[in-house]
Amino acid sequence: MQNISRREFLSYVGAVGGSSALLKTSLAMGLMTQDSYSGPVKIRPPAPGHKPTVLILGAGIAGLATAFELEQAGYQCIILEASFRPGGRNLTVRNGDKIDEMGNPQICEFDKQDNLYFNCGPARIPGHHRRLLHYCKALNVPLQIKANSSKMAYFHDDKSLNGKPKRIIEYHTDVRGLMSELLWKSADANQFDQLLSQEDVAKLMTFSKTYGDLTENGKYIGSERAGSTTDRMLDYPKPPVPLELKEMLDSRFWYGGLLGAEIYDWCEPLMEPIGGMDAVVNGFLKQLDNAPVLNAQVKKIFNREDGVEVTYERGGQFHTVRADYCFNNIPAYFMKGIENNFSNTYQTALDSIKRGHLFKIAYQMSDRFWERDGIYGGISYTSEPVSQIWYPSHDIHASKGILLGAYTWDPKVSAMFEAMSPQQRLDAGAACGEKIHPGYSQYIENGISIPWARMNHQMGCGMQMSKDDFKQYFPMLQKPEGRHFMIGDQISHHSGWQEGALASSEQALTQLNLMLDKQIYAGGERHVK
Amino acid sequence: MLNKSFLVLSLLACLAFRVNAEQAVTPPGLEYCTVCHGSQLKGNSNIGAPRLSGLSTWYLSRQLRNFKQGVRGAHPEDVTGKEMMSMVTHLSDQQLTEIVEWITTTESELPRPSISGDIQSGKALYKSCAVCHGEGAQGNEQLGAPKLRGLNDWYILTQLNHFRQGLRGIETRDAFGQQMQAASQILTTEQEATDIASYIQQLSITKSKS
Repeated sequence: MQNISRREFLSYVGAVGGSSALLKTSLAMGLMTQDSYSGPVKIRPPAPGHKPTVLILGAGIAGLATAFELEQAGYQCIILEASFRPGGRNLTVRNGDKIDEMGNPQICEFDKQDNLYFNCGPARIPGHHRRLLHYCKALNVPLQIKANSSKMAYFHDDKSLNGKPKRIIEYHTDVRGLMSELLWKSADANQFDQLLSQEDVAKLMTFSKTYGDLTENGKYIGSERAGSTTDRMLDYPKPPVPLELKEMLDSRFWYGGLLGAEIYDWCEPLMEPIGGMDAVVNGFLKQLDNAPVLNAQVKKIFNREDGVEVTYERGGQFHTVRADYCFNNIPAYFMKGIENNFSNTYQTALDSIKRGHLFKIAYQMSDRFWERDGIYGGISYTSEPVSQIWYPSHDIHASKGILLGAYTWDPKVSAMFEAMSPQQRLDAGAACGEKIHPGYSQYIENGISIPWARMNHQMGCGMQMSKDDFKQYFPMLQKPEGRHFMIGDQISHHSGWQEGALASSEQALTQLNLMLDKQIYAGGERHVK
Repeated sequence: MLNKSFLVLSLLACLAFRVNAEQAVTPPGLEYCTVCHGSQLKGNSNIGAPRLSGLSTWYLSRQLRNFKQGVRGAHPEDVTGKEMMSMVTHLSDQQLTEIVEWITTTESELPRPSISGDIQSGKALYKSCAVCHGEGAQGNEQLGAPKLRGLNDWYILTQLNHFRQGLRGIETRDAFGQQMQAASQILTTEQEATDIASYIQQLSITKSKS
């Protein structure tokens, strides 16, 4: 949950906060990934002849993984899913698929081709998301590299350089040059005498010269590292005219995109399942004994003395089912609308999880025009409302492609898109795209939009808790109440990521083991008495 | 065609009347309503969706129509109103009638207090409200004033603020809303609105006990 605020922080607050947040994250994550992952939790197997029952509410990634592990351990699981489809926010859409937005249902009109799909929810997997990668391997989900950054893509700020987009490679080269020049100047002006020996200051000056490609006297005058305005194969290279320091500082380039490939969750190379992220969902489904019960909307959850009782409605009929345990993947903010007998504190803890407002647009483009511009995968960043444009790195040189035309995290911007009709969103996104790629609109054949906060049965992505609530309630939600366990990315530090969902499942199953240990102990005692 | 739709309707009617004491079945296609408004339309403050069970038929019809026609929920700052508007825009008049019929068959527990205003101050302020809404907040159809008993206190507060701030009741087509918008101006502070909402909440509980 803090992850999204960190993302926003990095994107919108700026470089100073960003770099310290980045450092903290890296440290925290660095500690976490000392190869601590040794595979899924080993669930205590039931006593011989027993097959305990488990209700799993929600067929999202956490629900599916929980069911998979429990079934492997010898438990009988029933998954109830409110939507017409399993997967939760792991949603890949193709030709003919329904996008179940509240009030604005859309049908995906992409051409019927294997390469024309869009990952509406999770779309990238970094190499340190060990849990997810474990399942991809175990479930035979083939992966490919997903280019999450392309230095040939653009930075664009309407208020900078007359709104002319600038290649990321040029920008990075100039920023390094300009910063190195400042470093060189400071060193030359004896600013580091207290800190470093004379010898080390000399090294620092050499470093800055190398790092920024400076002249002999410490000036940055542009660099051919950024490319050339001439044909480099036939002519001497001529570097593009560099940015001025003031221009760089005044632009919004460094607000978000600068760190687009530098943050731990986006560190290259990233991966994606071949043919769409829902391969993960299908991988789980193939292994499960019982397919999720779809269109089953949970109405009541009651903790009973020796189990959990759940009432759901399906096709105009109420069904009440009982099980020994319940793992609940339903977005916590819906729980107030579901009758329950939770304690006030537990309900208050659930209420502290707030809806996130991520928003995406995808266009089917008649031509992969970006490839002619040297862009193969990666992301362009803009100060325009669409914020990002993602170029597909799969099926290079195919005739058409699905382009991500907007990915917004700023709740205000997302709210603006949410309030529009699907067509208005596509038009607004096209107008933004024109500023980065003139002629953009003419390639658009059709498109879809995914306002996560308006998607049926989800109504949010990237759940958030205030810092205080997180401190007070997160540990409470990690523990079961009665035999009811909350799961999902909402019960992790990494909301909006499948790895967070899987971590929550693992954590809840660890809690189950603790509970089982206690029961066995209590049972033993009873037996003795 | 006619026969077929008649059949569907009578089926719907059967379902709607198959009232299992407290559990009203959600008519097909209206599952969306319960996603936000909750089981038996008990309301969900996390989504900003009020409890609907117990509201008067005539009031429900009017509000649904208002949402459909963009009379309510069109103000750009009325976020939840806008969310509701987008749910109703595509529905037919027949569907709106069905929704109202269904809502009246739902039963859910009365809302618990969620805000803490000064009930004595609220009681004094409510006197002028009582002229239209009734002393027991039971509503008055002749005056177009809805029943307030059984509504969530947080929802009453939100709507009072919307009226006060001109997010609701400024549309010329919304005569009753305009009346309320004018009436809400007697409240000068957020605190007063909170006090009234708390008083009505208190009223709901006492009245239902007696």
